[in-house]
Order: sequence, then C-alpha cells, then structure tokens
Amino acid sequence: MALAAVPILLASCIPAEEPNTECDIEAVSLHLESPTDIFYHDYDTMQTVISTETDIEFTIRSYANVQSIPTTLRITEGATAYIKSADGTDVPFLNGSAVDFSNEKVQRFHIVSEDKAWSRDYTISVVHEAPSEGNLFFDFESYALDASGKYYVWDAPEVFTDGQWKNGNPGFKISKSSAKPLEYPSTPVANGGPDGSACIKLETCDTGPFGRMVNMRIASGSLFNGIFDVGNALTDALKATQFGTPYLHKPVMLRAWLSYEPGSVFQDRDGNTVEGVIDEPDVYVVFYRNEDAEGNKVQLDGNDVLSSPYIVGLGRLPHNYNADGTDQLSANPIHGLTNQWQEVTIPVEYRAELDANILQNKGYSLIIGFASSWGGAHFKGAIGSKFLIDNVQLFCE
Amino acid sequence: MKHIIYTIAALFFFAISVNAQEDSWEKWGPTKGLKSGGFIARAGYVIGGTTPLPLPAEVRKINGFRPRGGVSLGIDGYRMFSKRWGISAGAHFFWEGFHTDADVKNYYVWLEQEGEITKGYFTGTNVTNTEMWGVTLPLLATFRMSPRWNVSAGPYLSLYFDQTFSGEVYDNSEGIGYLREDKPTGTKILMSRENPTPYPDNFPEKMQPVAVGIEIAFDWKAMKHLNVFGLLDWGMTDIWDRNFEAITFKMYPIYATLGVAYRY
Repeated sequence: MALAAVPILLASCIPAEEPNTECDIEAVSLHLESPTDIFYHDYDTMQTVISTETDIEFTIRSYANVQSIPTTLRITEGATAYIKSADGTDVPFLNGSAVDFSNEKVQRFHIVSEDKAWSRDYTISVVHEAPSEGNLFFDFESYALDASGKYYVWDAPEVFTDGQWKNGNPGFKISKSSAKPLEYPSTPVANGGPDGSACIKLETCDTGPFGRMVNMRIASGSLFNGIFDVGNALTDALKATQFGTPYLHKPVMLRAWLSYEPGSVFQDRDGNTVEGVIDEPDVYVVFYRNEDAEGNKVQLDGNDVLSSPYIVGLGRLPHNYNADGTDQLSANPIHGLTNQWQEVTIPVEYRAELDANILQNKGYSLIIGFASSWGGAHFKGAIGSKFLIDNVQLFCE
Repeated sequence: MKHIIYTIAALFFFAISVNAQEDSWEKWGPTKGLKSGGFIARAGYVIGGTTPLPLPAEVRKINGFRPRGGVSLGIDGYRMFSKRWGISAGAHFFWEGFHTDADVKNYYVWLEQEGEITKGYFTGTNVTNTEMWGVTLPLLATFRMSPRWNVSAGPYLSLYFDQTFSGEVYDNSEGIGYLREDKPTGTKILMSRENPTPYPDNFPEKMQPVAVGIEIAFDWKAMKHLNVFGLLDWGMTDIWDRNFEAITFKMYPIYATLGVAYRY
C-alpha cells in the first residue's frame, strides 16, 4: 500500500509538459477524383515519409498532366506548416488546399516545431515516369559521400527510388560512429574493377559494442534498389530493407563481374563461431506483384524478399538448400566465385506468365540485390567477407 | 517487505499501549543521569530512490516503482551535554536501491562505449534499476523534545562499496518509442519492447564513490531498551561524475529508513 503511493506522490511532482521540438512531415496525400488516370496505383497518392527524407516525389504516368492538387500533410503534433510562395516568403499552409504541381514544379515547405526552436525544409513535386528501355547497366563510377559525410552513396538510374542504390550504411553509422567512410560495409574501390575503373566492395563488418548490445553483431555489405528505412534498423532490421521499385519491363537475365573472398570465421547471431561453415555472397533478381487483390501495396522486405508468394520471377546465385527450401549453411558453397574477377550470368526464372496489362501499369516491381553474407539479414556471416561487384547488366524482354 | 512494515506498526502500537502512563526523562538511557552517553543499535528497512530534483519536464509519467534491497544495520554512539542536547555519530551499513519505469519525452541521452558514441533525444519508456551497498556515517546534533521523542539532524558521508545502474529503453504503452539522433530533426530510430535497447554496462564506472547529505532522524522511546525510529538521508551531491554526459541532470539519493533500535 505504502509503496503503491510512491508513484502517485512522484506523479504530483511532474512538471508541465514542454512543447514538441519535432517538425516532420510524416505523410503526404494528394487528393484526386480518379487517381489511376494519373498515377499507376491508387496507393501512389499517399506517401509516408521516413525521417531521413526531405525531397518527396510522386511519380505519374509519362503522358499524364496535373495542375493544382488538393494536398494534405500529416506533420508532428503542434508543428506548423508553411508553403514557400514564389517570392520566398512563408505562407501558412492549410491542409486540403490546392498546390500547383504542374510542369513538375518543385514546391517548398517549411515545418516549424511547436516550441518554434526547430524547423525542417521539404520539397514536394509530381514528376513523370522516367523513360526507360528496360535494360540497365551499372558501372558504379558515380559515387559521393552522403550529406553527413560519413559514408558513400551511389547514383542509380532514375527509375530506382531516389535515383540511388540503397544499402545498410546508414544503419552501420548508428552503431559505429567512429568509422571512416572507407570502413563502412559498402564502399567504392577506385581502380578496383576488372577494367581498372571503380567497382563497389561489400564487406561484412563488426558493428562494435552497440551492435553487440542489441545483438546485431555484424553488418553484411549490401546493395539493392528500394528504400532503406534506418528507423527500423533496431526494432525490426528485416523491415528496414524495403526491396524493389515498380518496373515496366520484364527482366530476363542479370550479368555481372564478381569476385568473392569469404571471411575466415563464420559466426551465428549470438557471435558464436560455427565450425565447418564457409560464408557465401548473395545476388538475386526478383520480379514481384506489387499490389494485392484488394489494391493494397505489396512491399517485400528482408522477411520475404526471396520467399513471398507475390514473387513471379526469381534469379539467384547458386546455393545449397535444405530439403524444405531454406538456406543450408555448408562447407562447400556452389556459387563458383573466387577472389579473381569473373563474369557471372544469372537467368530469371518465371513461375507464371506475366500479365501484359499489369506490367504496363507498373504492377510488378524489380529487385536487384547483392550481399557479402547471404545470412546477413539475420546477422550471420563471417567478418571480413569481401564481395567485389562491377559492370552489372540487366537484360529485359 | 510488507511484513517488516506490519511488524514495525505492531511494535509501535504495542509500545504506546504498554508505556503510555509512565513517561520519564530518566528512561532515555539505562546509564545513570541525564548528561551521559550510550549506544543505539539500529535495524531498518530502507526505501527511497535516486532522482533528479525537481523532476525534469522530460519525465512525463511514472509507470512503476519498486524498492530493491532495503536493509540497513547500524550503530550510533551518543553523548548528552544537557537534559535535552547532545551529539550522535554512527555507522549505518546499507543495501538500498530501486526500479522505476517511466515515460519520458525528449530525454537527452549520450551513450559512449569503446569510443563509439550514440546520442540524441529519446521519447518512450525508460526503465532504471540501481542498487547500492555502502556505509553512511552521520554526525548529528540530537535534541530530546519530550520524554519519549528525540530528533537528530546533521550531515552525513556515505561511502559506496559497490553500485549498479542498469536499464533499458523501449516503446511506451501507446507504442511510441524512438531516438532522434543528435537533434530533434535528426534520424528517427524506432525502439520497441520486443527488442529493447539496454544502457551500456559502463554506467556504474561513472558513479561517485562517496555522497554527502543531510540526515534527520526521529526516535520514539517505546520500551526501556527499545526505540522505534524513522530517518531520512537526503543526498546533496550528484551520484554521477561531473564529466558524465549520458545523463544531463544531477541525480540525488534520497532514502528513508524505518526500523527499531536497541539502546544499551
């Protein structure tokens, strides 16, 4: 009884709540009578905005045109939204008011926190689908440090989300603040490619004391298209990697220059050495249906990137599998890669015929993914496994 | 724990009913005369917490509080200079601590391990556990208010033999739990109770080995040799090293002891 009184006693000493300091756009919705005339999917009119994103783009059909669209922002409680007028002044933004998105106009928004001490700038625009022939080629020559200056990012074709390759580097930054840009899991190697130009290196790294604290001891080097939502990196790492970009062409084959050297000691999630297992890299091309029967978005992540029932086509580097289809850790990998460069071809095998109408309406999404440890999503692998990648070509029908 | 409280309460009422009629100043000490000294052996139950004062606005709600440890054994020596006034000094060995579960908002954290630093503003549930073993050395002025009541007050010094300070952060009951890295506009990193983030295990290394504070003690003469007492140790020094950046506010140990004492 006496003890139960303590929290009540303490509760009476709790000072008044201070105003919020955050000032995020959490989601943006555009309101249209018949969205699919303009957009590919109904769900394309609403975007949730992850905390690291400030340039919000809506992609519409290449032939569609928009004018002013009623727009709703979901922002941090208590914060105030302003839209910048043509002369640069902030005008309070009322949810539901029409915003001129004609001719790919970039509209600038300014969000001020409830306590007025913090603010963030955002842009919102509606852009046309980038024209694409289907076939893609990546030489990894175009890279730069990210805005924080801590790790590298690589340009990808505009058809990929944000026009960039994604990887786990932003997550590694949380655990290993002291790491230099070239000590991250995904790094460029100038003059490292088979042709003497730059290539990309994925290396499985130790995540240090904070990684051990949350039982995520290693970070596999990774490279994929889609979204890396670093916000989920601690709670549900498999959800952080949101794979794929809607794609208008049917991929049939991936060709890439690869070389691989496994790290010497394979470890499980708890950091215990597993004898008799050699680490393996992973490469996969996945084509999947991105909308369910009810019209909801289907987004593959680390949980189901290779096992989702929405997958229609799959190509993967050869591995040993258990009888039930799960990954088999083994001492005899069959991927065939060595520490010498070689050109590898991975065909995409289809489980079903694609629906041409769905394909034309961006109803399928393409994933190209690489990892230096194939068990990396579950924090299994060998520290020091090195996977070099260059001149990746995707062939489409 | 509850037993101890009930026992103390029972003793208290028993003492009142037995001795109510024969209050006498002489009975304060078995030793002859009023200007003499003696010893008091004390055994008590300790309850309290280590807390910032006043509570910072970052703390929004205390969901739970549970004492840990809670044992104090000590001895005091006293000397009276007059009928009412004297001094007292002693050594109280203690094992005390607590567990709290609190909702916080915008709580600045700065975690450092092996040169790696994570810092930012946390909103969610913060669980703290601390235990301390040590000895408190009070030096008190003692004043006899009546034939039955005695009050003592003065400074004390606590020496800690061992201290633990651990905890974890995760989402609150509404599912809100996240760190904004560096600043309120930084990367939002979600936290959940399925995968809570513990405090680094180096926190106890950042704790001060000594504390200074004020003790106030009330003794009630229950029987010829037996006192019932309650005392409060109010820490005046921060438990953390001055250069410890993980916790931005000062925290003070404030513990009360309730128990019985035997007078020699």
